Amino acid sequence: MRRFLLYLLIGIFFALLQSSVLPLFFEPNWRPNLILILVLFLSFHEGLPLAVFGGMVLGAIQDSFCGPSLGLYVSADLAIVMLTKLVAEQLNVESPPLLLLLVAAGTLVQNALLGFFLTAFADTEPVISILLPAIPQQLLANLVFSALLLVVYLRLLKWFGYRGGLGSLLYQGKHYGH
Amino acid sequence: MRELFRRYKLLLLAVVLLMATVLLYSYNLRHKSTTTFFERAVLTFAEPFQSGIDQTVDAVRNVWKNYLWLVDARQRNIELLKENRELKAKLLQVEEISLQNQRLRALLGFVDDLDRPALPAQVIGEDASNWARTIVIDKGTKSGLRNGLPVVAAEGVVGRIIKISQNSARVLLITDASSAVAALIQRTRTRGVARGQGQDLSVEYALRTADIEVGDLLVTSGMGGIFPKGLPLGKVADIEKGQFGLFQQVKVETMVDFSHLEEVLVIVGEDQ
Repeated sequence: MRRFLLYLLIGIFFALLQSSVLPLFFEPNWRPNLILILVLFLSFHEGLPLAVFGGMVLGAIQDSFCGPSLGLYVSADLAIVMLTKLVAEQLNVESPPLLLLLVAAGTLVQNALLGFFLTAFADTEPVISILLPAIPQQLLANLVFSALLLVVYLRLLKWFGYRGGLGSLLYQGKHYGH
Repeated sequence: MRELFRRYKLLLLAVVLLMATVLLYSYNLRHKSTTTFFERAVLTFAEPFQSGIDQTVDAVRNVWKNYLWLVDARQRNIELLKENRELKAKLLQVEEISLQNQRLRALLGFVDDLDRPALPAQVIGEDASNWARTIVIDKGTKSGLRNGLPVVAAEGVVGRIIKISQNSARVLLITDASSAVAALIQRTRTRGVARGQGQDLSVEYALRTADIEVGDLLVTSGMGGIFPKGLPLGKVADIEKGQFGLFQQVKVETMVDFSHLEEVLVIVGEDQ
């Protein structure tokens, strides 16, 4: 419960950043999707129940901060959580470059899902011409910001002395030569 | 069968959940005009933060403009800076107030032309995605606003309110892909539907034979029942006529610069 609340607070903080602060510095296409990065992190870092529930709530928050209808990001983020869970079992998600690759894949999958839902359900065909040209910038922005967030996360782990997940890998690598 | 169900329990549950969320989305699409409890709660919760961030950014910007950037000048010429610092700060404030005054005068002039009661509002947030085009304003049901009210700026139409809480409201911009406004070319009265394309608009259903020229002004036709008749939407920037087909492709540049939108007006009443 405490972890869920933490993800919720971070999600709301990211949504506020995306809607009130980042627009001051970046054009829409260059704004990173911080909540997507959080959903991906949640998916490979937490168990299935928390990942699914957390992904849906984060999607609902994102829906409330963008676009006209509730449910779009809930569906997209839920699908991303499920796909990530499937992939995470096959891959070594402790590797930072692989995490960045997952962020890139997540960005592409989310754009594809949004394009599909918006075209199939909402009859907003022009959205494809908005989404498609923005993908390269969106990819780059998400990769840069996820790399920054990863650095901050590892730094926090080091400061607070907690060595689970990525932190433990780096710690073991440093001390046991792995 | 039970064994099969047990083995794929989680997968089945996930698929059922996914279908439920898609149904929820589909349901919400048909009930666009209502703001759900969850959305109202998030809007209400976020409003003080967004206002706070907006004010903080303004304050930081003011401090930066008024004081911090003078540090270099102070190093170059301390005495001159001491004499001028306060005056410069005041001048910047006066300039800011003067610019705001100009914008508000333009808005008021627009209201006079419009001949309808309107409520000024401040833009406090933008859309959190890169594909949707919405803004958040600092007025809500407490100020008498409701879903569907048209929002304008001095230059022309901005959009309409789609979600509302007590102290804030989300406005769907005319450039959003899901926005469609009944419009007409002012010079020839050719009718069409102005559809959002992200940055600009396109005019749909404009007949191939219709007389439209680059530079023509596109205004609201008043047919949709949301926007009053005659509000400027944009100017025709490009026209493409294929050899076949019923309609021509018309691209329109909006009158409003949505990237620098600070104050807007919500039209709250009928013709006076």
